[in-house]
Amino acid sequence: MNYKQNFAQEVYDHVDSGESIKSCMGCGVCAISCPLTKHMDYSPRRVFAMIRAGQREQVLGSRDIMLCTSCYSCIVRCPRKVRVMDVMHGLAHYALEQGYVPRKDTMTFGRKFWNSIYKLGKIDETKVANQYMLADGLIPGIKKGLEMIDMALTMVLKKRMKLIPERPIKGVKGLRKMLDKAQEMEGKGGHK
Amino acid sequence: MKDYFLYWGCSLEASASNYLTSINAIGKPLGMNFHELKDWNCCGASISYIGGTEMSVHTLAARNLALAEAQGGYDIVAPCSSCYVILNRSNREMLEDPELMKKVNVILAEGNMKYSGSIKARHILDVLVNDVGVNKIKAAVKKPLKGVKIAGYVGCQSVRPFGEYDSKEAPVSMDTILQALGAEAVKFPSKMRCCGSGIFLTEMEKAFDLIDRILGDAQSHGAKIIATACPMCQMNLEAYQKKLNQAKGTHYEVPIVFISQLMALAFGLDYKKDAALHQQFVSPEPYLKSAMA
Repeated sequence: MNYKQNFAQEVYDHVDSGESIKSCMGCGVCAISCPLTKHMDYSPRRVFAMIRAGQREQVLGSRDIMLCTSCYSCIVRCPRKVRVMDVMHGLAHYALEQGYVPRKDTMTFGRKFWNSIYKLGKIDETKVANQYMLADGLIPGIKKGLEMIDMALTMVLKKRMKLIPERPIKGVKGLRKMLDKAQEMEGKGGHK
Repeated sequence: MKDYFLYWGCSLEASASNYLTSINAIGKPLGMNFHELKDWNCCGASISYIGGTEMSVHTLAARNLALAEAQGGYDIVAPCSSCYVILNRSNREMLEDPELMKKVNVILAEGNMKYSGSIKARHILDVLVNDVGVNKIKAAVKKPLKGVKIAGYVGCQSVRPFGEYDSKEAPVSMDTILQALGAEAVKFPSKMRCCGSGIFLTEMEKAFDLIDRILGDAQSHGAKIIATACPMCQMNLEAYQKKLNQAKGTHYEVPIVFISQLMALAFGLDYKKDAALHQQFVSPEPYLKSAMA
């Protein structure tokens, strides 16, 4: 097994909210509160312990760091006020930046989502969903699309899907400048 | 009449258009004057961490707060829990940390904007219970939802992480409203369980477990309808029900409605035009017949 002694320091320095794990005492309340723990290889608690142990490869390549639904259960219940959810998000962002792909579909969806914000200032639900489905090419896209078609049709019938593409917000240029500045100011990562 | 900015967010323009319709309908009878927050941007939602950093998410929130400050300074009301939690959390962190507020203002200046910290970002449940109040809601009821068993599903982000207006673990505001409408608020243990949020699109199998538990729980405790105050909860519980049935052999056919839709109906407003209840995947009509008569 690979160990990188200063990995914890790397996390404190480069991962959003990374420093907050310094307070973790390993009690595992986050792990039992998380609705997705049973689908994880480790758990938030074990991921934090692995960071301290210097298991860089295993942590940044772990599928666990990209399964968070942002339900805030861990944050609310942590007796040490560790920003568990934010650390998991930060780790996912940092892992992607470092060339790891913990979950490809989630990465694709997340990037399409963020691109829509950067381009339009808002989310075009229809477009983001289509782009996500077609990300692997036309044939897998059609296959994914067919699985969802009855749901999509119901959305259209119930007038709950926009058929006209979303237009950018008026201040989109200013927003992009702000997002660029945010990336430049914060040493810890940025948008892609 | 009290003035608010209604920050409807991306969902209410499309997949949760029934939420927006019904919120606009209940505004007047409850004395809420909703203003549009002009040129608002997306909050980033739960998946923003892939493409964005904490600072870029603060930027998205701060731009909306700055718009509210410039356009009249009313409280922002977010009907979407995700929008609410992000706007509110960034706002609180900026107020607690003057350094952060300074940094964010350097960013806002790139677009010739500024934010001083005077805006409150609030969830619609908070405003309904604490500004409007139960008595006013009761007074507006013309057709009580008498005897209708409804599970008030609160989910994650409506009260977590701060519990500003209700308990983080055992909130009551949703049930208070349901009871004010004359309905029977069914108690069920999954009230605060996560619906799966955005992972439905990418990890459907894992998300099935989550909604199976919520739907099953509500049903076994007698609920005929589930009410929510979050577009993501509504969408996941409703639109994926059929797929869950196919995948797991369950037989759910539970109407999932927004609390504001039930309010519109109980206020005697139109089932379609105001409550927009014809837009549900599973019709709640059979259970609401008495109120509609």
